[in-house]
Amino acid sequence: MSWLLSLPLIIPFATAIAAFLVRGHASGRWISLTGSAIALAAAIALLMVVLDDGVIAGQMGGWPAPFGITLVADLLSAVMVLITAITAFAVAIYAFGDIDRRREELGYHALFQTLIAGVTGAFLTGDLFNLYVWFEVMLIASFGMLILGGEKEQIDGGVKYVALNLVSTLLFLSGIGLLYGMTGTLNLADLAQKVETIPNQGLLTAVAMMFMVGFGIKAAVFPLFFWLPASYHTPSFAVSAVFAGLLTKVGVYAMIRMFTMIFDHDIGFTHTILLWIAGFTMVTGVLGAASQGDFRKILSFHIISQIGYMILGLALMTPLALLGAVFYLVHHIIVKANLFLIAGIASRATGSTDLYRIGGLYASSPLLAVLFLIPAFSLAGFPPLSGFWAKYVLVKASLDAEFWFMAFIALAVGLMTIFSMTKIWAEAFWKPHPTNPDPALDQVPHRGALLLPVAGLAVLTMVIGLYPEPFVVFAERAAAQLLDPTAYITAVLGAAP
Amino acid sequence: MEQLLSVLIGALVAGSVFLMLAGHLLRFLFGLILLSNAANLTIFLAGGLTPGAPPLISEGAEGPTGTVANALPQALVLTAIVIGFGLFAFALILAFRAYQTLGTLDTDAMRVAEPEEAQ
Amino acid sequence: MTSSFSRSWLSLAGLLPVAIATTLFILFLQAVPVIAAGRTLRQVWQWVPGLGVDLSFVIDGLSLTFALLISGIGALVMLYSARYLAGHVHQARFSLLLTSFMLAMLGLVLSDNLLTLFVFWELTTITSYLLIGFDHSAKKARRSALQALLVTGVGGLALLAAIILIGTTAGTFELSELRAMPAILTGSTLYLPILVLVLLAAFTKSAQMPFHFWLPNAMAAPTPVSAYLHSATMVKAGIYLLARMHPSLSGTDVWLWTLTIAGAVTTVFASIMAVRQTDLKLALAYTTLMALGALTLLLGNSTGYAITAAVTFLIVHSLYKAALFLVIGIVDHGTGTREVDRLSGLVRAMPVTAAAAAVAALSMAGFPPFLGFIGKELKYAGALAVASEPVLVAGAVLLSSALMFAVAGIVALRPFWGKAGDPPKPPKEGPWAMLLGPVVLAGLGAFFGIMPSVIATTLVNPTVTAILAEPGEAKPLLLWAGINLPLLLSIATFVLGAFLYALHRPLRRGLIWITQRTPSLDGGWDGFLAGVMAVCRWQTQLLQTGILRRYLFLTFATAFVAMAGTLVAKDAIDLPNLVPDVLPKHGMLFVLIFLGLALTVITQSRIAAIAGLGVVGIGIAMLFILFSAPDVAITQLLVETLIVVLFAAAALRLPHLPRGGSGWRFWDAMLALGLGVTTTAILLMVTASPVDRELTGFFEGASWPEAFGRNIVNVILVDFRALDTFGEIAVVLVAAIGAYALLKGTPERQKK
Repeated sequence: MSWLLSLPLIIPFATAIAAFLVRGHASGRWISLTGSAIALAAAIALLMVVLDDGVIAGQMGGWPAPFGITLVADLLSAVMVLITAITAFAVAIYAFGDIDRRREELGYHALFQTLIAGVTGAFLTGDLFNLYVWFEVMLIASFGMLILGGEKEQIDGGVKYVALNLVSTLLFLSGIGLLYGMTGTLNLADLAQKVETIPNQGLLTAVAMMFMVGFGIKAAVFPLFFWLPASYHTPSFAVSAVFAGLLTKVGVYAMIRMFTMIFDHDIGFTHTILLWIAGFTMVTGVLGAASQGDFRKILSFHIISQIGYMILGLALMTPLALLGAVFYLVHHIIVKANLFLIAGIASRATGSTDLYRIGGLYASSPLLAVLFLIPAFSLAGFPPLSGFWAKYVLVKASLDAEFWFMAFIALAVGLMTIFSMTKIWAEAFWKPHPTNPDPALDQVPHRGALLLPVAGLAVLTMVIGLYPEPFVVFAERAAAQLLDPTAYITAVLGAAP
Repeated sequence: MEQLLSVLIGALVAGSVFLMLAGHLLRFLFGLILLSNAANLTIFLAGGLTPGAPPLISEGAEGPTGTVANALPQALVLTAIVIGFGLFAFALILAFRAYQTLGTLDTDAMRVAEPEEAQ
Repeated sequence: MTSSFSRSWLSLAGLLPVAIATTLFILFLQAVPVIAAGRTLRQVWQWVPGLGVDLSFVIDGLSLTFALLISGIGALVMLYSARYLAGHVHQARFSLLLTSFMLAMLGLVLSDNLLTLFVFWELTTITSYLLIGFDHSAKKARRSALQALLVTGVGGLALLAAIILIGTTAGTFELSELRAMPAILTGSTLYLPILVLVLLAAFTKSAQMPFHFWLPNAMAAPTPVSAYLHSATMVKAGIYLLARMHPSLSGTDVWLWTLTIAGAVTTVFASIMAVRQTDLKLALAYTTLMALGALTLLLGNSTGYAITAAVTFLIVHSLYKAALFLVIGIVDHGTGTREVDRLSGLVRAMPVTAAAAAVAALSMAGFPPFLGFIGKELKYAGALAVASEPVLVAGAVLLSSALMFAVAGIVALRPFWGKAGDPPKPPKEGPWAMLLGPVVLAGLGAFFGIMPSVIATTLVNPTVTAILAEPGEAKPLLLWAGINLPLLLSIATFVLGAFLYALHRPLRRGLIWITQRTPSLDGGWDGFLAGVMAVCRWQTQLLQTGILRRYLFLTFATAFVAMAGTLVAKDAIDLPNLVPDVLPKHGMLFVLIFLGLALTVITQSRIAAIAGLGVVGIGIAMLFILFSAPDVAITQLLVETLIVVLFAAAALRLPHLPRGGSGWRFWDAMLALGLGVTTTAILLMVTASPVDRELTGFFEGASWPEAFGRNIVNVILVDFRALDTFGEIAVVLVAAIGAYALLKGTPERQKK
């Protein structure tokens, strides 16, 4: 199975190299698109195999675990790889209309594909230090993409993004060192077993907190999210869409992985803290969004708010809650990336993302209006769209666990979300444009390339909303694997000793 | 010896945090280098200290003779040093660009992406 | 908005909705005999079995009554709209939204699964939002749409929570199963939360005090929307929910009193406010509120009289109110105004409209032989039979009915009779497509009044049975029930109503004077939103300051609190004994590194700082050599050299360090110290016990025999953990691309 596990990783790297070699030439975008399509096929194949065979593991270089590096795909990893490939494919199409020749010359496609490779690697690796390496690949590629274009805002946002993410990285790296010192291993499955033998479990918890902070910065939770609203509104729209969809979710994924499989020795302590983090993240994010007047800034703060929902699922740590967290992850990536892509189209049609300086899209561009309403209402958790089921499961999980207040927060934050979404709707779509009487979509160049991925992702949102059963069943199985990592450990290390 | 190194790493952390909080991009970079060193040393220290026995296998032997230094943390540190350098180099050039574009290295004055609200 | 009547209106966008609604109405009619015979129809499709959600639909008396009202009035309203909006640039969107709303509303009343019901409930909220904001370039319409969405949105969320709690308590989301377990909710410890949440949902959707204010504002929507959504159907969804949950939640004091008080207050307040209005549409909006209050009031009880009254009044109200709204739309369309003082004597130009208005108004005022009379008699009978305070309740009904009588006169009498007024446009009769609706609806009010048995057995009785969950409780619908207390109260209503009508002008002036001087909830709304926004901004400016230094401080502080706090909270501090085992040459090295560190931290000079960094770097490289890591040491030296070179090259073009910038910053120093001490403490504990060398043991054993390398570190890098190295190379290459992009990527406009 090694080849199937490494394909989603190798393809974007190979694509990156090919795209770099022809950078500045028009074929770069086609190479990127083709590579993304092949990676998507590989990701689908991987998920099919995992669905049929359960957790699969591949020992890289043939060295047995826990000595070599193991790539592992359980349902969560496999679905994250697939959703990454879907997002990448959508953004690769969008790039045709969004990324100009100058950015291509500077290596946009190579950076983009490397980023996807890093994200995929993070989802697939079964080794803690290797996870760090993929984090760094992803991080350095994101640095490059963020500043590509060199606008003032980008440089300023880039400084804050780089500074805070480097702190996160170093915390994570130190945590790895300490955990290695306590257990002598780096393999996640091996760690899951060896942490139980550490005599000072309180010390282990302290180290766990180090990981929580490190991943918390990546995931942009309260009170560590500052880098996100400082930078996500500055780069190209394609870049902010792929960031919004994927980057924080790698942090969430890492948090879910570590705090279900390895740091599950003191749930009463760690997961109570996660519960508080979840609550504050949901609230501060959504209040931040309500205070903004820019399309992308609103969306950026909403990322934070919704990370809170995912952390809530992890914190409750019940089968239903984890089901909700997995469902929310998948739903959120599709919807959030899509909204950023739409922001790009709206900005091109109206001339800005500043909501007070644009308008008129409802009258002139009904297609875009519909395409906005679907993810916007999904984000706010309205039925029958994907976000509703995600929210419903998490609220139910909170109520079942008798965390009334968390259920209240989760619901109230939904209301504030609809408040922000309708702000965008009322200002950008309903309100007449203050200066341009007819800000029409049909004057936007390359609108086909821009609209196609948006429509595709919207259809996906609808499908998940209207026919959620397979996704629910899937998320349920993924959650069961997380709660009982035996299958994961057995797949990596062989039969239990 | 481990204990003294623990203190040294703590000192590096303290120094770097203090530098990073100075609100100046150049000092942030100084802090970054120190913090990278602290993280690398943490891995190195966590793997145990063995003086005078590099993890080498002499000609003709199947494995190292006697106890040699723990090779794995050394490999990890090597990787981390190189990665850390890549990130640092980018950060340095970013600082350079920030000075060119924004005209300052004082991070308090970097308010383009998040301007102060007029309200 | 206004388009000429003469333009052709026979478009697909106009007529397809009519066809859909008519078809549905005919289909629902087929179910009438079945339901009248006391049976129910149920259909289930699986939807999300993983979450216990099925698409299950049920037709019983209650859902059928609503379904007939929704599809029947729907067909007439859509025919009306086809003409009303003919030629409007967004007519197709309007038709799509109105049809979507109708389907959602039908889904709501037909759902047997609570979650399915919720799905449709929220869909009505969304379509209502989009329809209220139909006139989207008007700021008022956008504000009203948002207000309605948020107020009903609160209710929607409450409903979701209620449904989850009900599902947990009863073990099912199916309403039919729930009704089979009468005391499962009332006897539960969660009864009160469930009740509060359900009432919040019902009261916001049906605009009960104090959540009423969104409904008058919703009149910003085109008139067909007001007639259909905000009078006949959507606002009754809350009433429907109360009726639907009646078997499971009623019968307690909380239920009785909450509904009685909310209903009574709403009905009296709304009928007074209705008299105050000069805009005919707004006056009607308040009478809708009054009706919703009355329905809530009656549903608080469980007597046959009260429920029969509620059901009858529900039907009556939907018929006459939709008719009157449509009439006002015709008047507005035909004259260009809805202001009561400018309209008079329209009967000459608009005879059909006037006739429909008159018939509907007589039903509204409660005159015999209209259905409104029967409805009012039953309301009095129901009010007198309440378990709470019959006198007060009957008094509330009397007052509101009398005011209703007066408003009926104001709305449907004054504009049409008397001498001609001065409307902006010469009055003109509406086209037949717009007249059909009011005529049919008003006519039905008269027909059912004369022949009450037509609806009594077919609809009212099964509905009462559904609400009370037991058959045989429904009371008869009679035009003449003999001389009894309700009849006397009716006569009193007419007298009082006529008196109020005669005095309505001074009354209105008085009310305007009062309302202008009292704060209103709608006025408070903007303040409320502004307050929320102020909190949002305050919070955001507190956290998202835009200043990197504060971000870093909070991040480091969080890390410190998380780690140190955990060590303390978990009582995990278990420091080993400190052993002075330092050789002098090592000691020298440490001193050197400490000095370099201190220099970097405190110096004001770039060059000195870089030199200090170099000392630290070289010192660490020597440490690596001392402790048997020559490869690491070489790399460290190389990297340190590169760093110093790069720094030196860059520093020439960068400004000097600011004086004092690295001065005494107390809290920064404390935090730095805290993090340093915490790090040291954790490291001391971690290194107190030797590391498990299982992995290294494998590498030492396999390095030469299997991987053919004598330098174990190198073998690990290129073979055992080659994937790390691969990633590492990627990082360096991408850093180079990124750096190139940084240096070359100047924005277009700066190149010049």
